[in-house]
Amino acid sequence: MEGVALQRRSLITGALVVVAVVVSLVAASRLRVGVAVAIPVALALIAVAVVTIPGLHDRHPVVLRAGVTVLLVDVGLFATYFFPSFTNYNLAIGAAMAIALLGLSFLTGVSGQISIGNGAFMGVGALIVAIWANHHSSTPIVVTLLIATAIGALVGLVLGLPATRLRGPYLAGMTLAFAVAFTAIVNAFSSWTGGDAGLQLPTAVTPPHWLTSLYSSQASQLTVSSVWLADITIVAAGVAFFFMANLFASRIGRSMRLVRDNDVAAELVGVSLPRARVIAFMVSAAFAALGGGLWTLVNNSVSPPEYSLALSITMLSLIVIGGIGTIPGALIGGLIYAYSNTVITWFTSHTGINSQGNLASQLPGIVFGGLLILTMIFAPLGLTGAVRRLWSHFRARRAARLALVGTATYARHTGNS
Amino acid sequence: MDAFLTSRIISDILEGLTNGVIYGLVALSLVLIWRSTGILNFAQGAMAMFSTYVGMIVFAHDVSYWPLVGIAIVFGFVLGGTTERVLVRTLYGKPEINPIVVMVGFLIVLEAVAAAIWSTSPRGIPNPFSPIDWQLGGHPLALSAFSVYEIVTALVVMTAVAVLFRFTKLGLQLRASALSPEVSRLLGVRVGRMLTLGWILSTGVGTVSAVLVASNFFTGLTPQEMDSIFAFGFIAAAIGGLDSPVGAIVSGITLGIALQFVGDYVNSNAIILTALIVLIISLMLRPNGIFAKSAARRV
Repeated sequence: MEGVALQRRSLITGALVVVAVVVSLVAASRLRVGVAVAIPVALALIAVAVVTIPGLHDRHPVVLRAGVTVLLVDVGLFATYFFPSFTNYNLAIGAAMAIALLGLSFLTGVSGQISIGNGAFMGVGALIVAIWANHHSSTPIVVTLLIATAIGALVGLVLGLPATRLRGPYLAGMTLAFAVAFTAIVNAFSSWTGGDAGLQLPTAVTPPHWLTSLYSSQASQLTVSSVWLADITIVAAGVAFFFMANLFASRIGRSMRLVRDNDVAAELVGVSLPRARVIAFMVSAAFAALGGGLWTLVNNSVSPPEYSLALSITMLSLIVIGGIGTIPGALIGGLIYAYSNTVITWFTSHTGINSQGNLASQLPGIVFGGLLILTMIFAPLGLTGAVRRLWSHFRARRAARLALVGTATYARHTGNS
Repeated sequence: MDAFLTSRIISDILEGLTNGVIYGLVALSLVLIWRSTGILNFAQGAMAMFSTYVGMIVFAHDVSYWPLVGIAIVFGFVLGGTTERVLVRTLYGKPEINPIVVMVGFLIVLEAVAAAIWSTSPRGIPNPFSPIDWQLGGHPLALSAFSVYEIVTALVVMTAVAVLFRFTKLGLQLRASALSPEVSRLLGVRVGRMLTLGWILSTGVGTVSAVLVASNFFTGLTPQEMDSIFAFGFIAAAIGGLDSPVGAIVSGITLGIALQFVGDYVNSNAIILTALIVLIISLMLRPNGIFAKSAARRV
């Protein structure tokens, strides 16, 4: 019975791959941009085919995660080609935020430590990218981003050291103090950081020729570069997503969840508490720094006052609303962040609130804060948790119905009721 | 030259003291809640700020100072009690992340609502105390009628809390229900009420600190003003030990004075950086604070 189902699903998978190849070949020959459209479509279909291979989740989870990553990134990249530059900018900002949120989700949700200072870690990455680009303008972007990520991890190490001996509230307070101190720290080294005014990148990130050649000559340089920036962030988010998905399921991730749930038990089975805690801190700081560095690229400049306590708290709200300790939660949080301004502008224009007034400017704080409280009290695992609960509820009901049918059949056969 | 140096040092100590008593008040307010409910109230500064703003609207048109202060503190009591009953009561026994997140949420809501109603520009409360420094032998002393008022008020509040806890029956009940809720309940203490009372007291103490900040002619109060003061207050409380009221007060005042010297002799950006480094070092050496009695934790 089960074997038949498996065979049928492998047939579907095979059919999808064939469809992918045919569609891409047809698209390549018919469309003006040809291969450029065919490749992503084919890639998406193949990825869907791979992801839907039955039993993949249990036997080769890494392949499954790679498939999901490729699918998400591919769809994202493909979409940026059609979006207006405004949407692409929002998407880039949101994808970078999603990277930082992945780190926070890991730290808070998996290792059980709370940070109200990850906005400042983003600021570290944002500044490092700008400082490095101003001093070594020939370094490739990827290298600059990696340097920012590494330095973010170092700062995370320094701040994480006390975490080896601290519990929740103390640690949260310390990270809050770091977030408050960040602006002063930036000002203390203003010859490097430019103080409150911040820094400009010496040269804007330019799209490569092959991308420009996909567009008609009327397309403005601005449009193409907004697509390129969004693409860079989406790819980075994909890499971060893949890395984090594996980390969540890895030995380290599992031992950290044990630390979160019962630190004494974790110590008894040989998990080194200080090490687990510091590693979690470093990972989250590194991810935040990468997100911040990408913001600098996208904005072409960095403005340190943006990386205030308010940003750290917004990050906490986003991950709680999306689903703390989950990966989809971070992606949802990034999307919410990308479009929150658009939604709030729409809301103020439809309710007649003065868009220049105090209320309109404070609306994000009121909404995010309110949602933060409500989520934590009524659905501590956020949107992701709520969806998962609905899903398992649905499956449980289906299983119950099947079981009921089975019992009824049995009763009919044996003559009992 | 020597006289100048002496007067500079005295000035630093006095000015540090005026900041330090504020940190001490904030720290004390945090300790009161931590001891009774095991929650670090991240919205403490915002609640105090909000109460002070409410006091300011009731007496918006410079009627007089004292009724305004009274209204602010009474509203602080009400806000503290309501918060405990409505918001915090759902959080007892939950993982320790939950109260932190909820109080952070409350913090942004209060700050955003305050900024939406009263804007983000600073507001001061006109008060009868002159902010102009007195002179001593031709040198300014960094001590004015206002700073004396500030120091005295803070010390009075601290003493009042100490007396309440040490010498009254209510104080005994408060301490008992913090120490051992089960036993206290068996002995007839209304533990639930004591928790609410702890929040009421804490918010009252916090409101005094925010009123003093708002009364300061040179700074005034903005919705986000208490963020950094909260950070210093937390640092003081954590260094002293979140369990220890005396530790909170002593380390608040010491921190204020020490940071004044840092600000004067290094620069003003170094202040919070130094505080952060001191916090990290102190927490690594004594994770439960200098004044903590025991380091045991139930598992």
